Amino acid sequence: MGKTRISGLQLFMLLSGFLFGSTVILAPALGAKNDAWLAIIIGGTGGALLMLIYAAISLLNPSKTLVEILKEKMGKVLGSIIAVLYIWYFIHLASLVFRDFGEFICTVTFPETPMTVLISIFALGVVYGVNGGVEVMGRMGELLVPIIPTFILIVSVSLITVNDFTAFLPVLENGMGPVLKAALSYITFPFGETVAFLMLFPNLNRKEKLKKIVFVSAALSALISIVIFFRDISVLGSDLMSRVTFVPHSTTLLFPEANVDPLVDINLMIGGEAKIGVCIYAATKAISQVAGIENYTNLTRAVGAFCVVLSVWDFENVLDLFSWTERIYSYYAITFQVIIPLILLVLSLIKRSKPAEGSDADNEGVIASK
Amino acid sequence: MTVKKDKGRKALLILLLIFPLLLAGCWNNRPLTEINIVAGMGLERTEDGKILVTVQVAEPGAIQPASAGGGSGGEKSKPVFVASNEGETVFEALRGMLAVVDKKLFLSTAQVLIIGEKLAQEGIGEILDFFERDYEVSYLVDVIVAKDATPDELLRIESDMDTIPAVYIKGTVENTAARGTVKKTLLIDLFKDMDCKGRQPTAGQITKSSDKEVRTEGLAVFRDGKLAGWLNPYETRGFLFANNELKGGIVNVPVDNGKAAFEIIRSKGSVSVEVEDGKPSMLIIRVNAEANVGEYGSGGRLDSLETLYMLEEKLGEEIGKEIEMALEKCQKEFASDIFGFGIYLHKYYPKCWKEVENDWHNIFSKLPADIRVDAKIMRVGLVINPVGKGE
Repeated sequence: MGKTRISGLQLFMLLSGFLFGSTVILAPALGAKNDAWLAIIIGGTGGALLMLIYAAISLLNPSKTLVEILKEKMGKVLGSIIAVLYIWYFIHLASLVFRDFGEFICTVTFPETPMTVLISIFALGVVYGVNGGVEVMGRMGELLVPIIPTFILIVSVSLITVNDFTAFLPVLENGMGPVLKAALSYITFPFGETVAFLMLFPNLNRKEKLKKIVFVSAALSALISIVIFFRDISVLGSDLMSRVTFVPHSTTLLFPEANVDPLVDINLMIGGEAKIGVCIYAATKAISQVAGIENYTNLTRAVGAFCVVLSVWDFENVLDLFSWTERIYSYYAITFQVIIPLILLVLSLIKRSKPAEGSDADNEGVIASK
Repeated sequence: MTVKKDKGRKALLILLLIFPLLLAGCWNNRPLTEINIVAGMGLERTEDGKILVTVQVAEPGAIQPASAGGGSGGEKSKPVFVASNEGETVFEALRGMLAVVDKKLFLSTAQVLIIGEKLAQEGIGEILDFFERDYEVSYLVDVIVAKDATPDELLRIESDMDTIPAVYIKGTVENTAARGTVKKTLLIDLFKDMDCKGRQPTAGQITKSSDKEVRTEGLAVFRDGKLAGWLNPYETRGFLFANNELKGGIVNVPVDNGKAAFEIIRSKGSVSVEVEDGKPSMLIIRVNAEANVGEYGSGGRLDSLETLYMLEEKLGEEIGKEIEMALEKCQKEFASDIFGFGIYLHKYYPKCWKEVENDWHNIFSKLPADIRVDAKIMRVGLVINPVGKGE
């Protein structure tokens, strides 16, 4: 284990790509309407804290993946059960992103192409990348992820002429309630989803940088989300913005004299690739560690195919997808994103991981005595 | 063994490189020769309550440069054809049209969307939904409302000026918008205002002036998605002054023995509402305009600053009159806040807006207004004094 290493920059790019993932097409925190920017600030702060917790867990258990930590801290049986739940979560997450991707392309670009075909072709590329290992994914991130903010900037700057800069007023018209709710959903989507990186953090070559990397990428992601929000509300106005399906796409439709929605599509492909890639990697790595399979690459194709099938199965139609993401996802995800990691953090703090071999037996004793 | 493996890898790589090519082509790819390129669309309500959709289709093969077409005496094929079809919904009517036209209609190229007067009076909310939802029609298409003519008639005119009438219509809209007597309205503008209680939507007006010509001047005022009435060209300009959408225009001012014309170069307008004791008490319109002297033949000497200041004052008064006419009509006749006073209230006095929101039409139409125009004359042109008024 631990032969493959990625650099700090690569991890940063991968993390940022993951965070941009679907948020580039589904503008975050829209539930708060005009106050979404406030929700993004609050949610971004919370999200950064949450990601720092993940980093802390990883630092307290150096060179151990989530599955290994779970097994060590919670005992073999309970740890394995929770690990299996996490495997499900990662696979489900990948299938959700696949579905977002498919729905967007089907609505906007290729309305008559079957979604299964689109998702499958996309999956081929992703699985190919994951098969290459963490290093390949890292390098791909390094190469492609910087394109995302570049394009966002190009579109935002070009749309300055059609702006109404006061469109986000009034502030807090409906009080803090919707803002906090939207902030919560913004923490779980996308920040909490980075729990999948607990499978990747051990591959970082210089551990001391981990906290900085995590924090900067979270801050950057929130910042860009705010830019996107102000751009979209200035261009579309709050009334229209609350009605459209894919906000950033509708904004690009107003681009004068040119059709630039491929710029949004490309962002989606890059961000989606990073996100799904990490999820599939995390899932396969976790399966191989739970089941004791030496080489995880044998599993990626199977897991990838399963994600594709699941993504088509999950929901009947696009509204089903949206309402599920809006209402249930936050609560479903909190278990995996907050509760279990917090327990792990506490356990890690109480019982500093000992490199000695005897620790396994100790832990089992603790669990058994409970 | 390794050679074999390498070959396998190469084959895989080639295969993967082919996939993007497949992605680039649409599933239902349609070459140019198999589509009908729509140049303009019209929507009208028929007598029996159905929707009549008219499309004007350009035939790329038949469009020739004017010089090439003149010489040959032979009968040219027409560059456009117009087809219409009825249906209970817009989409149905549009698709049903395939029973009369030979190729599929390609809507992204549409230049103008003309809405019939009758349909506008009954409400455009329902029909706009199709255009909002459908990915094919551009959000940036020009929308105009037909007055005293059906969209069908307007799209069937044969203009001498452009081979494609829809392009001709779009051209006139752009011209008049630059003169400030019509508001260039994009589909997206209607979408934005449609659901907004603080500002009612408006759109340009089009009439048929002869068999070959149209006239795009004036403004259609909506109220709750229904056509409430029309503003004449001067009122339209007043509205654009207040709304900060004026691009330019010629304003006449009475002088000594006739009229002088001033060209508006720049104009900045803003609307706001004064709130007293949590209730809106006064509508405020502020306009700063910069103008040049365009024509001063009937005026006196122009070489003193006092005259210029006096002219500035008069120009401001004229602009103020236009704004006042527009506002009064919107208040008294239509009770429709097209200026966006409501949006201002919503933004800066959200609590007050909550109270008046549902009765805004009535409250708006009863509020007094304070219009102040500050006009500046920047330049007088190549001569200072008109003929016969020099030393």
